[in-house]
Amino acid sequence: MLNLGLDIATTAAILFIVSAGLLMVFGVMKIINFSHGAFLTVGGYASVIVAHAGLGWWWSVPCALAVGFVLGMLVERFIVRPLYARPLDAILATWGLGIIVGQIITLIFGRGVQMVASPVDGAVPFLGTQYSAYRLILVGVAVLVALALGWLVNGTRLGLQTRAVIMNEALARGLGISSARVRFMTFCTGAALASTAGCLITPLASVDPNMGVPWIVGAFMLVLVSGSSLVSLAVASLVLGGAQVLVSTFVNPVLGGLTIAVLAAVLLRFRPEGFARG
Amino acid sequence: MKAIPTLIRQAGTLVMLAMASHAVLAADPVKIGVPVGLSGANSVVAPSVVQAAQLAVDEINAKGGILGRQVSLEVADDGSGAAGAQKAFDSLIFDKKVNALISMETSAARNAGLPIVTRGKVPFIYTSFYEGRSCNRYMYVDAWVPDQQVAPIVDYFVKQYHAKTFFLIGSDYAFGRGMLDFTKTYIEKQGGKVVGNEYLPMDGSDWTPIISKLQGAKPDAIITSTAGGAPNVTLTKQLRAAGVRVPYGNLAVDEGTAKSMGVDAEGIYISGSYVTNIDTPANKTFMAAMQKRFGSDLKTPNDLSVPEYEAIYLYKAAVEKSGSFDTAKVIPALAQVSFDGPRGTIQMSKQRHTPLTMYLGQVQANGSVKVIQSFKNVDPGAQCPALK
Repeated sequence: MLNLGLDIATTAAILFIVSAGLLMVFGVMKIINFSHGAFLTVGGYASVIVAHAGLGWWWSVPCALAVGFVLGMLVERFIVRPLYARPLDAILATWGLGIIVGQIITLIFGRGVQMVASPVDGAVPFLGTQYSAYRLILVGVAVLVALALGWLVNGTRLGLQTRAVIMNEALARGLGISSARVRFMTFCTGAALASTAGCLITPLASVDPNMGVPWIVGAFMLVLVSGSSLVSLAVASLVLGGAQVLVSTFVNPVLGGLTIAVLAAVLLRFRPEGFARG
Repeated sequence: MKAIPTLIRQAGTLVMLAMASHAVLAADPVKIGVPVGLSGANSVVAPSVVQAAQLAVDEINAKGGILGRQVSLEVADDGSGAAGAQKAFDSLIFDKKVNALISMETSAARNAGLPIVTRGKVPFIYTSFYEGRSCNRYMYVDAWVPDQQVAPIVDYFVKQYHAKTFFLIGSDYAFGRGMLDFTKTYIEKQGGKVVGNEYLPMDGSDWTPIISKLQGAKPDAIITSTAGGAPNVTLTKQLRAAGVRVPYGNLAVDEGTAKSMGVDAEGIYISGSYVTNIDTPANKTFMAAMQKRFGSDLKTPNDLSVPEYEAIYLYKAAVEKSGSFDTAKVIPALAQVSFDGPRGTIQMSKQRHTPLTMYLGQVQANGSVKVIQSFKNVDPGAQCPALK
């Protein structure tokens, strides 16, 4: 029973970490960033490079953050910015970008699976049971990410401007807020978060050119039911991630893989605002 | 001083004349078609298969070819799937008019190609291990089937660890389910018990609920059969992260992947008909020849590439035995001939399949595979009882 609870908590934590970057971009820009999976992959390969350089695994976290941020700057400036007025085209453009990034990675690193050593080993005793040490660490990381983003949005001048742009972009611009700058910073933050998430899942996953793909469907669904609120995203991760664990455990893991998508679709049918306060 | 250049010129003309007449007299080369997954899922392993085929052809040509005819390879990309295989088989058989097809492919590609083989009536030697019981009058297989691969691991776990309960984990596709269905039947026949049998979709990456079930079931041993590459690595990493340390047999990992998985792979049991450090003169000669031929470009020979090398020699032996390239004569001869290759003496004598020496290996801390035990001439069982 305790193990089940830990499974749910850690699964929700991973989902939250993987989806947070997508939520930032969608919340502010109303653009679904289809290259989110590619940014995850880039983060995974950042940790491969760090490992090749002979540095400890923990170095890959700041490294992935920096790589994601810089890549986000380039993508926002040259691909996303010209398409703000055309959200549908932006979806196509980011999707294409995802394919291009995947192919570039294949050209450089090859199609095969890359290995990254884990920063911590095996299981630790926890509340009278044995549990994967790294998954427990990820719960802490998710809380840190939530607190950091919360502070960024609610505790800084940029966050205040961001919230203004989310509420009413035209009015915010009338007040002298540069919405272009807000969009730029948001996209870079989102990309940096995605890349960091990719690096954080490497101890639990393989690093290959398609490593981001299995995560994006779940992340999209969670963001769609969460709107633009971090709190809703946390709730959605816990509820839908929990449902996935329960279905996988008591019914069948193959069905478990569908749970998030199906539940999110049903939820949006009956409550279009999802977990966001309507 | 003009005499010498003239002499040289005359000699050169003579040589050219001799070469030209030789080319006219010699028959067309024997063409061996190799449809293989240069792109797609098999693209990681395909280059090693092509290299093994090249070495076999070079060696045969250096010794005078097959029935005096030189051998040439026709490699075609099958895209690792059905659609690509149809194109590749069609073009090899009807455009290039190959004498035989010898190659390693995915099961989907093989199944798509077989009707074309039947129409074109060419001998086809399939050199990939697979889920078993694929039968066609033009096809032979010189690689293992589940009946040969599973037994060594299960038997060893029962004997060495007194394992009674097993937990099986796989990817949800034909090969994964086929292997584990066979494993389950085999374990139960040996008096063991399967306490869990779980699958995740092929692109699934979170094995948490399955691992929790595994820990709840407390099995004596686990056996996995995932899709190669990413799912295999993800499952192994998460098993290790969860602190699972019971004996772990992996039906889908090869020596190369095990090596690159590093410390996570340590202790895993694998089973196959070829590992690079088989201690026989034939294997050492083969490894040295590969090293000399390809140098730094060498792709490590493996359980998918070595059968390709041996199959080309088996085809040569069958043609020489029957004294012709005629399919109707070559097909029965293929079951009668044998070849002493890196894996030992290979003869495709059991219902188009091959008794093989199987090796049980354990991955060591440095990534190498240590052979724990070898099982001589493991029988493939009744694969194609209906075929004459």
